[in-house]
Amino acid sequence: MTNHCCGPGYASPAEAMTAPREKLLYTIAIYTGTGIQKPDYLCTIDVDPESPTYSQVISRLQMPGIGDELHHSGWNACSSCHGDASMERKYLIVPGVRSSNLHIVDCGTDPRNPTLFKVIDGAEIKARTNLSAPHTVHCLGSDIIVSMLGDAQGNAPGGYLQLSKEFEIVGRWENSMGSIKFGYDFWYQPRHNVMVSSEWAAPNTFMPGFDLEEVGHLKYGREIHFWDFEKKEPKHTFYLGEDGLIPLEVRFHHNPDSSHGFVGAALSANIIHWWKDAAGDWQWEKIIDVGNEPHPEWPIPIPGVISVILLSMDDRYLYLCNWLHGDIRQYDISDPHNAKLTGQVWMGGLLGHAPEVNGVKVTGGPQMIQLSLDGKRLYVTTSLFSTWDNQFYPEIRTNGGCMLMVNCDTENGGMEIDPLFVVDFGKEPNGPSRCHETRYPGGDCTSDIWA
Amino acid sequence: MTNFTITLANQGGAAFDVDRRKPLLQSLREQGVDLPYGCKYGGCITCAAKIISGKVDQKAQRALNNRQINNGYIILCVARPMSDCTLEVGVESHDKLYRNPFLDPLAAHELKADIATPLEDKK
Ligand code: FES
Repeated sequence: MTNHCCGPGYASPAEAMTAPREKLLYTIAIYTGTGIQKPDYLCTIDVDPESPTYSQVISRLQMPGIGDELHHSGWNACSSCHGDASMERKYLIVPGVRSSNLHIVDCGTDPRNPTLFKVIDGAEIKARTNLSAPHTVHCLGSDIIVSMLGDAQGNAPGGYLQLSKEFEIVGRWENSMGSIKFGYDFWYQPRHNVMVSSEWAAPNTFMPGFDLEEVGHLKYGREIHFWDFEKKEPKHTFYLGEDGLIPLEVRFHHNPDSSHGFVGAALSANIIHWWKDAAGDWQWEKIIDVGNEPHPEWPIPIPGVISVILLSMDDRYLYLCNWLHGDIRQYDISDPHNAKLTGQVWMGGLLGHAPEVNGVKVTGGPQMIQLSLDGKRLYVTTSLFSTWDNQFYPEIRTNGGCMLMVNCDTENGGMEIDPLFVVDFGKEPNGPSRCHETRYPGGDCTSDIWA
Repeated sequence: MTNFTITLANQGGAAFDVDRRKPLLQSLREQGVDLPYGCKYGGCITCAAKIISGKVDQKAQRALNNRQINNGYIILCVARPMSDCTLEVGVESHDKLYRNPFLDPLAAHELKADIATPLEDKK
C-alpha cells in the first residue's frame, strides 16, 4: 500500500489511514495577551507511548518577536502534490494573526527540534498586498494560499495571499472577492472545481474581543461562499441567517469525488451541511443543532460556541467542540443528511461538568482538535483566542491552557479521555501559556486535500 | 513645544520625554519600555493602556468600544500625546478591559463609535 515513489502525503485517504502512528505533534502556544512579555512559540510534543518523554513538550521554538498571536498553521505541501517527487512536506507555515508575520518553520531537517527558516514580515505583506491578519494555510499544488481576514488597516473582507513554494510573496490569489463581507476559513475540492469559504468578522471587530451586540449590527458573518476555484472568484453565496451565525471551520469530505462538506456555525451552535444535488446545484441544510444550556448565574442560557469541527479520514465521523459548554461530540455522518450522536466527553467549560481532568484544572474548554490518521486518537487544546479567553475564562492567565487526548472507538462509536495523557501549559518554563492548533509531521485530518 | 512627558504610574513613576508627533508605543519602546503590542494599526487592543491624567489623540484606533474609552483606555500604537500624561501600562492595567459579553451587555451608547447610538439621540 505505501507508496515510496512519489511526493508528500498519501495516494488516497484510505492509504493515509494505514500510515504509521504519529510520534510527534507540533502545537503553537501563545503569550500574546497574557501579560508575559515573551514571544509565542511552537512546541514539539512527544506522543510516542514507548518513549520516556511521552506526553511532554520536548522542544520549543520561539518566534523572533512578541505579539504575533500564533493561531493556525499549515504545511508547504500535502497529498495534493503526492504525484510530484520534487515536493517534500518539510516546512510548517505559522502565521501570527495580530502581527501578520508568517513564520516558515523547518520541521523536516530535525523533526524533534524545528528551526526557523524564514520570516515574511507582516509589514511587507501589508505594503505589497494590502492584506493583514493571516488565518488558514493550504497548499495548492506547488503554491500556498493563506486566508487574510483584513486589509492592511484591519477592515474586512481581506482576501487571499499567494506564496510561491520558495515562500516569496506572489500577490493576491483571488481575482475578485465579489460581494463577500468577511473571511475566515476555506477548503477546496478540485474535482468539483470548488472552494468554500466562511466568515468570522473584520480583524478590527474580533481581535479586541467579542461584543455580542455587534452580531446584531451585522459585524459578524452569517454567509458561506462557493468559489469557482479555477477562475478564483466567488460564484454563489448561501445566506445562513440565524442558523449560521459566525460560520467558522470549513471541512469537505476527504474523498475527492464527494461534494459533501460541513461548516460549524459557532454562535448558533449548528452544523451546516452542503452538497451538490443531481441537477448540479449546491444545497444546504442544518444537520446538528446544539441547544443553549442554562447556567445558575447567567441571565440567559449559554450557547455552545462551536469553535471547531473535524472529519475523520474515512469521512465517517464528525467531531465538534462546544467551547463554552465544555463538551466534545462525535457524530456518525455515514449518512451526511442524518448525523447520529455516538460519543461525548467533557473537559472544562462553563457548565462545570469536568473542572479537572487527569489531575489538571482545565481552564477554557475543548477548542482546537486534531485526529490521528487512523481516527483513534483525538488531541484537544483549550484556548480559543487571547482576547476571547480573557473574557470568558479569565483564570487562564494564571492557569494556562492544557492538552488532552481522547480515545475514539472507530468501530462502534464512542469516546473516552485517555487517563495517562496530559500536557499542562500552566507549567511552561516562561510561565503559563495557552495552546491552540496542532499538526502532525506526516499530515493530519485537516491538512491534506486530494486533487 | 514638540515634546511631552509621559509618566508610567505602574512602573515606579518612570518618566519619558516623547515626541508629540509619534505614537506612544513607538516612543516608549524606543526608550526601552517593554510593552505588549500586536497589530500596530489600532485594531487589536493588545497594546491598550489606561490614562490616569492628560489627553491623547487616538482618532485612528478601531479596537475600543465606548465603554472602554469611558473607562480610560487608550490604544498606544496609534495614540499621540496632546499633553503630559500619566499612564498605567501593560496587562496590569486591563482590569476593566475585558468583560463577559453575555453577563454584562453593552448599552447602545457603549458600542464602538461607528455603531453606537449617541446618548442625546435616545428617547
Ligand atoms: S497593537 Fe494592536 S491595537 Fe495596538
